[in-house]
Amino acid sequence: MHGGDEQHETAIEPGFDFISPRFEEPKFPMHQVWGYAASLVLTFAALWMTVNRIMSPSVLLGVVLAMAVGQAALQLGVFMHVRESRGPAWHLVPLGLAFAIGIGLVGMSAWIMLFKSGVS
Amino acid sequence: MPALPSFVPYLIHTLFPPWVRRPTEIGAEIMMTAAGAFIVYWLLKNKKLQWLWNEWLTTVDHKKIGIMYLVAAIIMLGRGGLDALMLRTNLAMPTLHFINASEYNEVFTTHGTIMVFFMAMPLIFALFNVVVPLQIGSRDVAFPRLNAISFWLFAFAAALFNLSFVVGGSPNAGWTAYPPLTELAFNHTVGENYYFVSLLMTGIGTTITGINFLVTILRMRAPGMTFMKMPLFTWATLNTSVLILFAFPPLTIALLESLLDRVAGTTFFGLAHGGMPMMYVNLFWLFGHPEVYILVLPAFGVFSEVVSTFSRKKLFGYPSMVLSMTAIMVLAYGTWVHHFFTMGAGPAVNVFFGLSTMLIAIPTGVKVFNWILTMWGGRLTFTTPMLYFLAMIPTFVIGGATGVMLGAVPADYQFHNSYFLVAHFHEVLIGGTVFGLLAGVYYWWPKMFGYKLNDHQGKWSFWLFAGGFWPTFIPQYWLGLEGMTRRMYTYPFGMGWHTLNVISTIGGLIMGAGFLVMVSNVLRSRLHREVDATGDPWDGRTLEWSIPSPAPEYNFAVIPTVDERDWWWEEKQRRQSGEKPAGPRPEDIRAIAIPKNTPVPILLGAAFFVGAFGLVFTWWPIALMGLAGVFGVLIYSWFQYDHYRILSAGEIRETEELLGRLGA
Repeated sequence: MHGGDEQHETAIEPGFDFISPRFEEPKFPMHQVWGYAASLVLTFAALWMTVNRIMSPSVLLGVVLAMAVGQAALQLGVFMHVRESRGPAWHLVPLGLAFAIGIGLVGMSAWIMLFKSGVS
Repeated sequence: MPALPSFVPYLIHTLFPPWVRRPTEIGAEIMMTAAGAFIVYWLLKNKKLQWLWNEWLTTVDHKKIGIMYLVAAIIMLGRGGLDALMLRTNLAMPTLHFINASEYNEVFTTHGTIMVFFMAMPLIFALFNVVVPLQIGSRDVAFPRLNAISFWLFAFAAALFNLSFVVGGSPNAGWTAYPPLTELAFNHTVGENYYFVSLLMTGIGTTITGINFLVTILRMRAPGMTFMKMPLFTWATLNTSVLILFAFPPLTIALLESLLDRVAGTTFFGLAHGGMPMMYVNLFWLFGHPEVYILVLPAFGVFSEVVSTFSRKKLFGYPSMVLSMTAIMVLAYGTWVHHFFTMGAGPAVNVFFGLSTMLIAIPTGVKVFNWILTMWGGRLTFTTPMLYFLAMIPTFVIGGATGVMLGAVPADYQFHNSYFLVAHFHEVLIGGTVFGLLAGVYYWWPKMFGYKLNDHQGKWSFWLFAGGFWPTFIPQYWLGLEGMTRRMYTYPFGMGWHTLNVISTIGGLIMGAGFLVMVSNVLRSRLHREVDATGDPWDGRTLEWSIPSPAPEYNFAVIPTVDERDWWWEEKQRRQSGEKPAGPRPEDIRAIAIPKNTPVPILLGAAFFVGAFGLVFTWWPIALMGLAGVFGVLIYSWFQYDHYRILSAGEIRETEELLGRLGA
């Protein structure tokens, strides 16, 4: 029932291919099983590394942060059907905006909290 | 006499410690119990329990949910206002110990928290719920059941927060709840637990509401209503929803980590073990500044509708209104550090955020000028909502200008946490948000209930409230400049603060009188109501005025096709000239699926309440019972398949005919 007449009503400009309609056929969710396993591995690996302090705190922080970003991307891609849409996937545009705002807020918070006065 | 089991004294000591056994608390306990008993007695005597359950407690109808939000918000306005009067009474005279220091801490904390989270937010959601679906020509919000869940989470959270006053003790660290004031080592009563848990609960509801209205506006507009044809209140709702979506996660994290610090022994924000108290402040204001605009944008939306309707003119500069509102929405994320310039983050950081703060005054100024120019050459009628709009202009302009003064970093080191700041934010929050929301309540009251609030009494209430506002808050600017700091519970003779404080307290009492007149107006207008059969008592311009008041449960018998910005205004001209029939044609009416009532939202709220209560007292078995209850209700809801009932075309035709709405 998906696809069909919706697909040809919107022609996507070249350069905007990333929002072109796509819809996956339902089949056994092997993707999701792998995604779930990988999420668990990433979570417990981060916990294990932190509890056992296998490297210096600043390096550890970087590694855990990288794993967190990886897991966020994994979950968006695997579970949130982020590229699937019956029409143009317009949600990718605000999603990009959300990332920009998120990264901006985190980055600016880091900048703000770098101060070295005796308050904290 | 047999000895009591040992847990009884423990329970009494934990639930009713000495600081809730003072006269005010005992008085409140007696009043609350009596009021509760009376309501239950009234319901039983009139056999209204079934009616209450079917019509209100289990409803998913956005119009009824809106009314419930409204009732809750007015009750909370009463409590928050009573808190304010207690504070003002204590400050009326030097060394006047009407309440003592620790009580004063509790009262200013509950005043701020209730006014922001349990009065302003639900009042905003009341207007969203009542107005937005009608204004965009929709039959409901995108997720009606989630909408009811939002409401019940808010309602039970508000109940929990207010319970703190009589059971266990109130929070006492200010509405901002900064560490280390909230850390267990310095603050051992359960008050702050109440604060964190109830705010987390209502925060879930708020986030869901944001998502719900975002999807509703993006996906459920009437055919033909492009973005640039949307009414301004709908635009305000859209922008507010986006702000909610991004602003609440940092608050959730800050509250959750503070709660863990208190109940699970972590030190996210304690100074021990490398905790960072200033990180709490950063996270809180990362939420807190967008929150300010969450509170004021809906009021801007209301004013845009009100000024256009009562000037009988199109809104001046619609595209610049939309653009400025969106600019405010974006800029709102970039100004939060101005709440803690004095932290000492360094000149670069402070200057950046000082400039971004001043920048936000530009789009706000654009809006003020557009409103004024909308009145230019219009035919004005001075109804109560219009008076609130007119009162907003000077208050908001002065409040905004003092905000820019606070945004100047070096000056802020002087103003910070003084009464200058208190005067500034009350001026924008009352002069902007509360005036706007009250204007909205008066404006859309006939749409909610089918009759207007009495305009004469409304004006009395307005003059008392808006007239009392100036003597209350303008003297506080001078008090701040003379060195009186925020949250001080008393002050000695000889500081020169006496006269200004007396004026401020008298102003507060006048505002309180204004609130009482408003409540009596609500009751008297209901008793002596003049039913409005037109559904359009103000000669309105937008879609909600095209249907009967109160709107039937399906809202629109036939969803209109929108071709103009002020569609209903244009449609009225067309109907008068005979171009169009005067209502939906019977043959166009089709059957409509209506979402069924469900007990899931209220049960979910109750389960959250039980769990949250357990968490407050760290009684883990009760907290787990609540959690089990949440899962139980969710599992029960999974097996509910039959969500809709069908309203046949015949029934709708009959209703429309009874309302006299059918066109030829």
